[in-house]
Amino acid sequence: MDWLNAIVQGVLLGGLYALFAAGLSLIFGVMRLVNIAHGDFIVLGSYLALVVVQSLGLNPFVAALIVVPLMAALGYVLQRVLLNPTLGKDLLAPLLVTFGLSIIIQNGLLTLFTADSRRIMAGGIETASVSIGALNLGVLPLAMFATALAVILGLEFIFTRTSLGRAFRATSDDAEIAKLMALDNRHIYAMAMALSAAIVALAGIFLAVRTNFDPSTGPMRLIFGFEAVIIGGLGSLWGTLAGGVVLGVAQTLGALIDPGYQVLAGHLVFFLILIFRPRGLFPRMDG
Amino acid sequence: MSAPLLRIDNLSGGYADFQALFGVSFDLHAGEALALIGANGAGKSTLLKTIVGLLPCAPQMVAHHGDQIGGLSADRIVRRGIALVPEGRRLFRSLSVEENLIIGGERGRAGEWSLERVYALFPILREKRHEPATSLSGGQQQMVAIGRALMANPEIILFDEISLGLAPAIIKDIYAALPAITRTGVSAILVEQDVTRALGFAQSFVCLQEGRVSLAGKPADHSRADIVAAYFGSH
Repeated sequence: MDWLNAIVQGVLLGGLYALFAAGLSLIFGVMRLVNIAHGDFIVLGSYLALVVVQSLGLNPFVAALIVVPLMAALGYVLQRVLLNPTLGKDLLAPLLVTFGLSIIIQNGLLTLFTADSRRIMAGGIETASVSIGALNLGVLPLAMFATALAVILGLEFIFTRTSLGRAFRATSDDAEIAKLMALDNRHIYAMAMALSAAIVALAGIFLAVRTNFDPSTGPMRLIFGFEAVIIGGLGSLWGTLAGGVVLGVAQTLGALIDPGYQVLAGHLVFFLILIFRPRGLFPRMDG
Repeated sequence: MSAPLLRIDNLSGGYADFQALFGVSFDLHAGEALALIGANGAGKSTLLKTIVGLLPCAPQMVAHHGDQIGGLSADRIVRRGIALVPEGRRLFRSLSVEENLIIGGERGRAGEWSLERVYALFPILREKRHEPATSLSGGQQQMVAIGRALMANPEIILFDEISLGLAPAIIKDIYAALPAITRTGVSAILVEQDVTRALGFAQSFVCLQEGRVSLAGKPADHSRADIVAAYFGSH
């Protein structure tokens, strides 16, 4: 029963990791940008939610109505002002700039909020649970997983059914010819970053309600996000969710053996997949 | 006298580390089809890319209805009604045939070209509309590329090597469709390796040689020998 329980908890935790990964995967897919600051964006989202919750006395999930648009706007501006000029043939420039951003965000948060670890209270939802048979499922993990599902479905819809999604795919395929479709690449990239930042905001809120966070917790979220993306296979949205689930299950099973093995077990599964399926579980067919 | 539809005025340009065009000038008039001929490396494709804004040039070097548009970003030039059918077709591989056509028209001008009109011009594309664009044969892909440019309802359409790599029978089919396009009042600049075919289609021509205009005029006004000399250079 412990095992079954751990697996189910792992699947639900995978929802959070898929939220970490979806935004990362999205911007890599559209503009081949590896955002080293992605984890710090998530933590920035957590702090933004903290400020909104404390100053307005809102429930964190209501605060999402403010935090998500704010982060999206920030993502849009950041892309237009700072990241677009770094995009080109050289992959190193955007890598260095986002690495710098990561350091700036961590130290900025440290100055504003100190190194004390924080947490957002959500009025009992974090400890509430429902029983299904012998399984005890937390309401918060269920909400995380449902949100991840909704985000992946939403992205799938945007990519396959909307004008913006066609523009994302076309720009990703051939940025030069996309311009001939009267698309302004700078705007398309900024929209992708805005969408990524909106997902990051959701991830940040769940992270803040689920666990303690401090300004230095970003890089580990980045690693989890990366691992989920690579396990799932680059360029596949459902792969990203599957990658998050595999990582989550590996971690909860590892923790069952010994709490110290939780993170290590996740890394080991990631390495095994890299060795045996280097393109991930669900690689895009056309590579 | 009103300004010509498109005036190329003493245009010099090329890539950052390589100048390919040296003082090229010519006019394209409304309703006209102009053949741009010249040997490999003469600068034909570079000129088309510069007109459409993919390569930089000074503002006064390209004028559209008298407005200086040289060096504007490609998306703004396309919105003005100048579309390019690029060399090598370059369809979007993640998009279906129909999506490639739709994206061509979404931000273009209003006009008579629509999915229905493109399917009427190239009926095979209707059958294949849900297939990935790059799964089609070369000739069919070329039809998609032409349709994609038409969907923007351009005033001027630039064709870059539309017969490249295609079988002669397919080339004939593609060329058979061109009059149906120019009949709607669209002006065209046609870059083509096959000089006879290009001159047969166009009312005027410009021959480039090493980035300079070596001969220009109406096909009937010049002897074959003059054109060959202008094409290869006479030494």
